[in-house]
Amino acid sequence: MRIITIAISLLFSFSALAQQYTVSGRVKDASNGETLLGATILIKGGGGAITNEYGFYSISLEKGTYQLTYKYLGYKDEVKMVVLEDNQTINIELLTTANVIGTAVVSAKALEKRVENKKISVVKMETAKIKEIPVIFGEVDILKTITLLPGIQSAGEGNSGFNVRGGSQDQNLILLDEATVYNASHLLGFFSVFNGDAVKDLEVYKGGIPAKYGGRLSSIVDIKMRDGNAKKFAAIGGIGTISSRLTLEGPIVKDKSSFMIAGRRSYADIFLPLAPDETIQNSKLFFYDLNLKANYELSDKDRLYVSGYFGRDVLGLSELFGINWGNATATLRWNHLVNEKMFVNTSLVYSDFNYGVDINFAENASFGLDQSINDVYIKSDWTNFVNQKSKLNFGGQVIYHRFNPGLFAPNNEESALIFQETQLEKRKALESGWYIDHEYKHSTRLNFRYGLRLSTFSNIGGSEYTYTKSQETFEPIDVLTDTALYGKNEFYNTYWGLEPRAAVSYNLNTTTAIKGSYNRTFQYVQQATNTASAFPTDQWFSVNENVKPQRADQVAVGLFKNFNIGLEASAEVYYKWMDNQIDYRDNAALAFNEQLDGELLTGDGWAYGAEFYVAKTEGTSSGFVSYTWAKTMRQIDGISGNNPYVAGFDRRHNLSVVFTQKFSKRLLATAAFVFASGQPLTTPVSKYFYNGEWQSNYNDQERNNFRLPAYHRADIGVTLKSKEKPDKIFKSNWNFSVYNLYNRENPYAIYFREIGDSDLEKFPNAKVGDTAAFQTTLFKIIPAITWNFEF
Amino acid sequence: MKNILYIIAASLVFVACEKIVDIEIPSEDPRLVIESEIYNIKDIWKVKLSLSQPYFDQDSADDVSSALVFITEMGGDTVFLNYTDTGMYVSADSHQCIVGNSYELNVVYKGQTYSANEQLQNAFPIDTLMSFFLPPNDRSFPTGTYVFVQGKSDSFKTNYYLFKTYRNDTLKSSDLDDDQFGSVSLLNSLFNVNDILGEIALGKLPRPILFDVEENDTVRVEQFALTEEYYKFLTDVNAQQSRSGTPFDPPPANPNNNLSNGALGYFAVAHKEEVTLVIGQ
Repeated sequence: MRIITIAISLLFSFSALAQQYTVSGRVKDASNGETLLGATILIKGGGGAITNEYGFYSISLEKGTYQLTYKYLGYKDEVKMVVLEDNQTINIELLTTANVIGTAVVSAKALEKRVENKKISVVKMETAKIKEIPVIFGEVDILKTITLLPGIQSAGEGNSGFNVRGGSQDQNLILLDEATVYNASHLLGFFSVFNGDAVKDLEVYKGGIPAKYGGRLSSIVDIKMRDGNAKKFAAIGGIGTISSRLTLEGPIVKDKSSFMIAGRRSYADIFLPLAPDETIQNSKLFFYDLNLKANYELSDKDRLYVSGYFGRDVLGLSELFGINWGNATATLRWNHLVNEKMFVNTSLVYSDFNYGVDINFAENASFGLDQSINDVYIKSDWTNFVNQKSKLNFGGQVIYHRFNPGLFAPNNEESALIFQETQLEKRKALESGWYIDHEYKHSTRLNFRYGLRLSTFSNIGGSEYTYTKSQETFEPIDVLTDTALYGKNEFYNTYWGLEPRAAVSYNLNTTTAIKGSYNRTFQYVQQATNTASAFPTDQWFSVNENVKPQRADQVAVGLFKNFNIGLEASAEVYYKWMDNQIDYRDNAALAFNEQLDGELLTGDGWAYGAEFYVAKTEGTSSGFVSYTWAKTMRQIDGISGNNPYVAGFDRRHNLSVVFTQKFSKRLLATAAFVFASGQPLTTPVSKYFYNGEWQSNYNDQERNNFRLPAYHRADIGVTLKSKEKPDKIFKSNWNFSVYNLYNRENPYAIYFREIGDSDLEKFPNAKVGDTAAFQTTLFKIIPAITWNFEF
Repeated sequence: MKNILYIIAASLVFVACEKIVDIEIPSEDPRLVIESEIYNIKDIWKVKLSLSQPYFDQDSADDVSSALVFITEMGGDTVFLNYTDTGMYVSADSHQCIVGNSYELNVVYKGQTYSANEQLQNAFPIDTLMSFFLPPNDRSFPTGTYVFVQGKSDSFKTNYYLFKTYRNDTLKSSDLDDDQFGSVSLLNSLFNVNDILGEIALGKLPRPILFDVEENDTVRVEQFALTEEYYKFLTDVNAQQSRSGTPFDPPPANPNNNLSNGALGYFAVAHKEEVTLVIGQ
């Protein structure tokens, strides 16, 4: 009966019941004009709205007088009285409370509100929160920080990758101003590519993914760049022991148009010449990146944004070997207000990731290998703020992918005499997604969001291989038996899928809510990796005749509770089914392989877990505790003797504790502790003597039969701000941090081999010819100092 | 401070700290290990049998002495091998493999039969084995005597080779080569053999098969033409042996071999040829 009532009211939700007027506008930061996304507008007596990703809101109300309260974390509330007799535009600028954090009085109402607004399986981080993140290596790293939160596991040290609820690293869609970032790591994972100074807001969807997002199986990380200060010229920067950074921003036309330019450069390699080893002395190792953004208000109804990212990593081992990689993205956006209730954003996006390897054996044996993936897409997202209860989102996107799986080319004429240029066949594909999504507030207690996404994928032109299982060897290997050729612009292998998405939230009382979600996702582009951790050299490739799209279904249920003492807590459980998960056969040849799909095996995956989170967000002492219990399994015929096995990134227990103490207005300290179960590992189960050496014998029936010792470490950071004077524009602070405070030797890898003569120098007590387990540790204790400034 | 910075920088290039750890890992029952290579050259056929053992058991491998071992030329004779010692089974007479023919090994041990089948490949003969002395030069190439090997390769079919190079009967290097770039083999085609000194004058240094040899040394190069399967097996064995705890390591897995019933090792039939050179003045 209840359901029927809801269904009926849902139908009516699209029609205006009485004469209604709309109050709409943008919410901005008063100090710099940055639009605030996700700001809350509360109507006294019930109801409200949230600003969208461009800071826009729209509320439809019957004729009357209303009291609106504008709220945003880290900002002072702004109250407006509105006499609604016709449509009104109210743009609001909120004052930041950044300087008074910890002393702000938090009303019980604000806490209540937060339970309602918190979406299931979504992590959101606003500018104010990003600024409070504990700093490691002297810089805020948002990707590293989100791995402290439940359900998001770090892929380990020396790796910016992360795993969300049993998904592999390539199943995360990382968007920077709507552009896909294919590789998010700098310096082999020391840093992520996102400059903390240039980022405005970050949202991570672990589940309950809205229908507007698609293309990856496990998560969406939506990162938005700052627009730049529209009020005055400003600069932020930092000089540190590992890297330095500088951001310049200012108005182009005051209050109408602004720009931001943010750059970083690391210089760890400057110290390499100090090394005793000649090879290290001649090595190169650095990254740089640049974020650019500008926006222009064409009219009250139109706003244009252009943003871009360019970053590059260079690593060279003397003259012999060099590798460099980088992302480039560009986004052109047009915000348009069709009317007070209809907001539309149309974007043209370019995204590129490429890497190159250079090898110089000799003057006449010098060659390079290049690979890339390159996307151009157009998308349009529409929002109809139907009425106070209902919001309708719809739109679509079309992506044109180009893959260059490899170009092998000699670097000079002498080498060209010997080495032939070889280009692996380039690939093209068209991907699209179309969605409709309805957000519906049935009552103060019950909210829904449900939608449907249609995704399609077609290969364009080129050759397609057919493989047949060969029984010639004892382990069946796919043998190429046929090649089909398609015309240059011919579409073939069209896959499509319907992706239902739903989320429901029910408030038991003002401080407690139960939420649930379901989503189905498809993935058409994935990464080939057979090494322990994802690497820039791991190739992106699309589905085709042999590789079917990956599919996942996830359900999650959560309980959210806020306590009056300033604590917020949540618990969520999830279960995820995954089809067409790919893995590589043992001893697969992935490098420069035209028939890569012949090395693949596909099967099922499933993952489930429970996540707990308790946070204290206000007061002089704040922090959070996050714990995740998770299990991630795979079953793929041909691997592990067809038995289910633990996925390589499965970490059963994950605990993070972060604590921040504000001692005074100038002194702030942060401490963090991280614990994670050891990473699964395949160990030899015996050894045998062959070819004059001990060889390892692995159990073909059980992959990942062992776990590395647990990972844990503690970090501390202290920030000392310069004395604040009202007339002083220039502000600075010193940040001292220590990574891995108690110098834990966490295993990066454990591997097994025979002890050789060359080991004696390092291990004088070792016996040549014995077999041993070697453990490598990447980061022991690392102190860092950074001086940050802004004016 | 300098030290700290250097440590940070150094750890970036994965010269991170390494130590030997004492851990307990799962173990399985011993398995039969078969090691055998037979050639186109007339010789005694040998098969070595041993058992696998727990990874941290530092004793030498247990020999297998109670097996029945025989090799059959497909469509031809069967040769039985007799146990001698240290796990070695040998044929009574010398035998020669013929190009294109297949050979089957059978080992019966504790009621189980282990078998493998392999075909002898054709090979191009080695054209040239030569040496020359490189005087001090401004190119920072070490001064000394270099040895090169040169051969033809097949443009229609990929050939798989193993080159073993001995200096005075001591094995100095083992190079696998599959001339995968069409008609070019990295190992033996990087230079013009007729004008090595001319090429050095141009600043090129061909890749030598051996360096650091002295006058009157005897250099012997053995060329083995392998089946693709054996080549891949040896490549995977090398890859597994060169683990170093970096992300470049391959996933741990047993190389595919040609032995049935879970036996470890390989039964290889290879086309062997050797060339010898005495380093002149």
